[in-house]
Amino acid sequence: MSRAGTVSGQFARLGFADPDRASRLLGDPALVGLVDPLEGTFHDGLPEALSRAADPDLALLGLVRVLETLKARRPSTPGHPGAPDVEERDLVASLSRRGPARDRLVAVLGGSTALVDHLACHPEHWRCVAEATAPTAEGLRAELVAAVRRGARGEHSAYDALRIAYRRELLSVTALDLTSPDPVAYLPVAAEQLAWLAEAALEAGLAIAREEFGSGHEDCRLAVIGMGKTGGGELNYVSDVDVIFVAEPAEGVSEERALHVGSALAVGLMKACSTSTAEGCLWPVDANLRPEGKNGPLVRTIASHRAYYERWAKTWEFQALLKAWVSAGDFDLGRAYKDAISPFVWDAAGRDHFVEDVQAMRRRVEQHVPAAEAKRQLKLGPGGLRDVEFAIQLLQLVHGRADPSLRSATTLEALAALAKGGYVGRDDAATLDEAYRLLRTLEHRIQLHRLRRTHLMPTSEPDLRRLGRSIGLRTAPANAVVELWQSRAREVRRIHERLFYRPLLNAAARLTSADTSLSAEQARARLQALGFRDAAGAMRHLQSLTTGVSRRAAIQRTLLPVMLGWFADEADPDAGLLAFRRVSEELGTIHWYLKMLRDEGSAAERLARVLGRSRYAADLLVRSPESVSILGDDRGLVPRTQEQLAVIMRSAAGRKSEPAAAVTAIRSIRRHELLRISFADLTGQLPLAGVGRALADLAGAVLHAALEVAVRRVEELEEVAAGALGTDLAVIGMGSLGGQEMGYASDADVLFVHRPRKGATGTTDEVAQRRALLVVQELRRLLGASGPDPQLGIDADLRPEGKGGPLVRSLVSYAAYYERWALTWEFQALLRARPVAGDPGLGADFVALIAPLRWPPGGLSSTQVRDIRLMKARVESERLPRGADRRSHLKLGLGGITDVEWTVQLVQLCHAHDVPGLRVTSTMAALRVAQDTGLIDGPSAHDLRAAWQLAISLRNASVLWRGRPVDCVPSDLRDADGVGRIIGRAPGDGPALEEDYLRVSRRSRAATDLHFYGA
Amino acid sequence: MDRQQEFVLRTIEERDIRFVRLWFTDVLGTLKSVAVAPAELEGAFAEGIGFDGSSIEGLSRVYEADMLLRPDPATFQILPWRGENPGTARMFCDLLMPDGSPSVADPRHVLQRALTKAAELGFTFYTHPEIEFFLLKEPYSPGGRAPVPVDEAGYFDHVPHGTGHDFRRAAITMLESMGISVEFSHHVGAPGQNEIDLRYADALSMADNIMTFRTVIKEVALEQGIYATFMPKPFSQYPGSGMHTHLSLFEGDTNAFHEAGAPYQLSTVGRQFIAGLLRHGAETAAVTNQWVNSYKRLWGGGEAPAHLTWGHNNRSALVRVPMYKPTKGQSSRIEVRSIDAACNPYLTFAVLLTAGLKGIEGEYELPLETEDDAWGLTDSERRAMGIQPLPSSLGRALEMMEKSDLVAETLGEHVFDFFLRNKRDEWEDYRRQVTQFELDRYLPRL
Repeated sequence: MSRAGTVSGQFARLGFADPDRASRLLGDPALVGLVDPLEGTFHDGLPEALSRAADPDLALLGLVRVLETLKARRPSTPGHPGAPDVEERDLVASLSRRGPARDRLVAVLGGSTALVDHLACHPEHWRCVAEATAPTAEGLRAELVAAVRRGARGEHSAYDALRIAYRRELLSVTALDLTSPDPVAYLPVAAEQLAWLAEAALEAGLAIAREEFGSGHEDCRLAVIGMGKTGGGELNYVSDVDVIFVAEPAEGVSEERALHVGSALAVGLMKACSTSTAEGCLWPVDANLRPEGKNGPLVRTIASHRAYYERWAKTWEFQALLKAWVSAGDFDLGRAYKDAISPFVWDAAGRDHFVEDVQAMRRRVEQHVPAAEAKRQLKLGPGGLRDVEFAIQLLQLVHGRADPSLRSATTLEALAALAKGGYVGRDDAATLDEAYRLLRTLEHRIQLHRLRRTHLMPTSEPDLRRLGRSIGLRTAPANAVVELWQSRAREVRRIHERLFYRPLLNAAARLTSADTSLSAEQARARLQALGFRDAAGAMRHLQSLTTGVSRRAAIQRTLLPVMLGWFADEADPDAGLLAFRRVSEELGTIHWYLKMLRDEGSAAERLARVLGRSRYAADLLVRSPESVSILGDDRGLVPRTQEQLAVIMRSAAGRKSEPAAAVTAIRSIRRHELLRISFADLTGQLPLAGVGRALADLAGAVLHAALEVAVRRVEELEEVAAGALGTDLAVIGMGSLGGQEMGYASDADVLFVHRPRKGATGTTDEVAQRRALLVVQELRRLLGASGPDPQLGIDADLRPEGKGGPLVRSLVSYAAYYERWALTWEFQALLRARPVAGDPGLGADFVALIAPLRWPPGGLSSTQVRDIRLMKARVESERLPRGADRRSHLKLGLGGITDVEWTVQLVQLCHAHDVPGLRVTSTMAALRVAQDTGLIDGPSAHDLRAAWQLAISLRNASVLWRGRPVDCVPSDLRDADGVGRIIGRAPGDGPALEEDYLRVSRRSRAATDLHFYGA
Repeated sequence: MDRQQEFVLRTIEERDIRFVRLWFTDVLGTLKSVAVAPAELEGAFAEGIGFDGSSIEGLSRVYEADMLLRPDPATFQILPWRGENPGTARMFCDLLMPDGSPSVADPRHVLQRALTKAAELGFTFYTHPEIEFFLLKEPYSPGGRAPVPVDEAGYFDHVPHGTGHDFRRAAITMLESMGISVEFSHHVGAPGQNEIDLRYADALSMADNIMTFRTVIKEVALEQGIYATFMPKPFSQYPGSGMHTHLSLFEGDTNAFHEAGAPYQLSTVGRQFIAGLLRHGAETAAVTNQWVNSYKRLWGGGEAPAHLTWGHNNRSALVRVPMYKPTKGQSSRIEVRSIDAACNPYLTFAVLLTAGLKGIEGEYELPLETEDDAWGLTDSERRAMGIQPLPSSLGRALEMMEKSDLVAETLGEHVFDFFLRNKRDEWEDYRRQVTQFELDRYLPRL
């Protein structure tokens, strides 16, 4: 093996990614004197020192660059290289010896390409690395201010001088950070030093601004208030620096003049820090947290700030002020400002709209990040750094009102104080503390590499490897760092459970073993901030759910911290919690229930979300708690078909001898199925069309089973044998039942038809008619009885002669009536006729009978078309209830459900004879065919569909939300929010709901005008 | 409280203001006023002042009965009316819902929303109106004597000791004292007709200014014992009163309509903006020309535009690109000539801005310039040149507007719906009239 080969192998073992290049570079003339190429051992030599860097290759290359620059500076005459100067000699000496100086140099060179670039331009700054000492806030401030003084900055401009000095000090901070034995523990120190350095730069920037302003600058006293991470003393390596400017006139100066000067100084300061020069820029200074944000004046007096916060400020502004800290400028003024402002911060939790604001703020924090980044984000999204910071600040605002010990501006100090005060559990706090430090450390190392503001975990192997090594992971660093990160991120994702809810549970359950100790008052304040409107009630529910030594209480104590978070996310947390309590009280001792909640993965979450979202589902569930099992079954959310239901209902009804009992059994199955459908709907597993079909199937099955019970009953009354009634009956579904587009509150529109059996002994047609009528009356009586479930209304008003006509007719009688008397609108109604129950053969014959009526050969005559239009026009003006708004009425309003259905039905009547696809009972299916065949143009069809679907969804969602149907788009903001969430709109989007419905229905009305009225 | 609010309260104290009028505008552009005592003002700034909106045109939805007025302190002005001593001041207000969110029925909010949309695209919108009006010898009462103009002069005529002259001087003094800068004022085409041009301002301030302007003009006329009217066409034999309005868009400090070296120094953005105005001109006409009488002016010939055309120095065009002044790169602008002096300026500016922005967003192609006087062309010529007319009547304009997503989205569904309903009623009422024309023409013969 050649010598070079051996060296390469050794370099590879030392951790160089490119050993050949490393070996070449070590032979570089720039390193002469540092490495003896003939020396076989690396023990204690420079190469081994380099191998301890996060990125040894980078460190080596950086070293060559720095030394090259120094060499190039030697005073020389051609042909005679000059002697090394003292800088170079000392540097080489430092690098040749083991010790902290060398370790620091190597760590910085191997940790940040950006700082290597700086050292390559300013090699004399190596001493700041090698001889770094822990800086002080005052020291840094003095250094930077001195560096920008006119006399001190030499040929550099003030801006350049500031940048060079800032980076010089940054080298020291970085050197100490990268060589700390436990970087995760060291994080707060590094973050604080970075904040000091930023404050020092602000001070220097202000000095530059005052110099630029020239005489008269002293007319204004200016304080720079650090906000965000600067104010919190926990800054990143690269981050916007948030500030607020406070100005007051110097003595004898007018306020106007002072504000004028102050604005100029503020602008000057911001430019001094953020302008890009040949030496780069420091960071953007962001003053948008000031009153009125971007639109407000850049500087204000204390009185003006106070006036703003008294009147106009929003909750998030107070939350931001929690971090306010006097960073630069006139410290007396800054302190006066803080004294004036801090009462507002600590009273914020008592303001109107605090709760709503907090909800909106939380949504913003948790807003999902771009999908491509979601998996790599350290900062945004649930469980990101910002989530931790927000959660801690929220607790500070809620509890800091009464407890001054919680008022630290620094995240980790605040967390420690919360634990110390018993507001969060000690173990939880410790876990979070560690996780937060780790995530921040990773963020620091990632930013440090190129001094770029990024919060994304890298993906490439070399980047991950460097990152892992930079926090001291030596074995398989790339994998290890990802594992470590993910394990901590998992902890943080449970932050709300840990910080918000577990202490509440401890308080409610009065656990003596707990290390948290919220008072009743504190618990209520916290519940309110989290979105529970009736905090006292919620506390009672929690107590009832968790007190005691039962197995149920024990399991619920572990479940509820998580479930409370889900309740709080929904539109009505209080109702959700109450319903959960009632269900639990019914079922709490049943083994499978608790097991399901504990073990079935998503069951508990689904339950919490459904209960917090829908009064309808909650009411149903409270009445039949055992139905909660639907949620634990993977197939539970798939609606049953009518055939499946028919079997279940028949066997349930068959076990009862009493008709009333049989129908009660049928209805209880219906209740169970309604829950299944609403659960599936509320959890987004069942599209609108699926809901309509499932509800129609369910109604059909109920009718079928109840019809059988009624027949049996009449057979008994008439004293005939089973099956010897002498006539067959069928139920024809009309309207939304026939169209399989039912809503939760829809009545079942039906026609009843019978057909006397030929040759049945002793039954004349009159007897058959009488018995059929008895059956139908019995059916209506049985289903109409009040019970614990929502009633299924049976509406037979579409029958021939309407309310005045017989409730049931024979098939022959229907034929005669339709032949002689029927009006066009009755044919129109028959478009949606579909046999749903009773004798299938009879149903089929009925359908055959009406086929030529509803799909008339040759379409409609112009008179008939006119009749239908006229009828519709009358319906529009007469049926709309008094006082209802004709724009926002979902069914009868302009562009609403009726408009769409009549438009589609007119097309069906006119064209079904030669377009077989139109021979369907569903409005949406017929519309699709009408569009595909060009009978309704594409844009119109789209508008009609959109309006119909939105109107039906809103009607369904209103029933789910409050348990009762509504006629119009909800205008109450809370209702609009609750209903809007159910139909999949963003939380808090209530105000736009009505506007959106009006727009969609306006377009649908235009399509109706075009295709129905022909205008 | 911010500085502006403090300024208002201080001024009220120092100037002995006893009443503050809170001004707002209904959907039809009528100024509404609620007077409050200065003591109530601090509360009004903080929380707004409650009032029953159900009796105001266009605010009539039941659940909006309770509304709030929140004065905008930036609009504070002392009213210089004669005889109002101790003084009275006014502020324009935003209409709010009880929960503090803006009311959808507030025309000011409609314009603010459109301006926000422009701001999102990086534009600010400036307008500069030339407002025409007639001065009559006495107020008109329905069924009364025919209106008589105060003089018999013509365009730019200097009328010695003319009532109009005194009037304009008094009016301008009063306008200036209310912080509204006047650029130009002169006598125009018809007897008794005057024009006052306001110095350009951002569209929201300008709309406020126009509301103030109309009130001031009417007040000054009253003081002088005459009557001022902004009715679009009071005399069939004379030209009507329009509000030719110059529009410009700025991106930061640059005029987005200006491009050195382009034809008429008009940038692509400017061309697209005009294209948007033209393409959506018919559907927006009901807003820019909202009265039955407006269409008498548009179709009365002369300088009023009745066709969707543009041109350089073409006074029959809907949009005119005025002479560019080489020294003023920032002065590039376009002039829309259809607008009535009696429009609702908030809604009008909102629809014009949105139509223009639509042209920019959709990168509309600008049709060819029309150099001829559109009135002088035959129908066939107009057809050949692809020149579309503006609606011929309010009824026709409403039909066009009804189909317009652009207008619906700009006004918001509520205002859109109310506006249509109200205007349809007006059109119905008008159609039921038997006019003097019919009597004169038919009675003798039929």
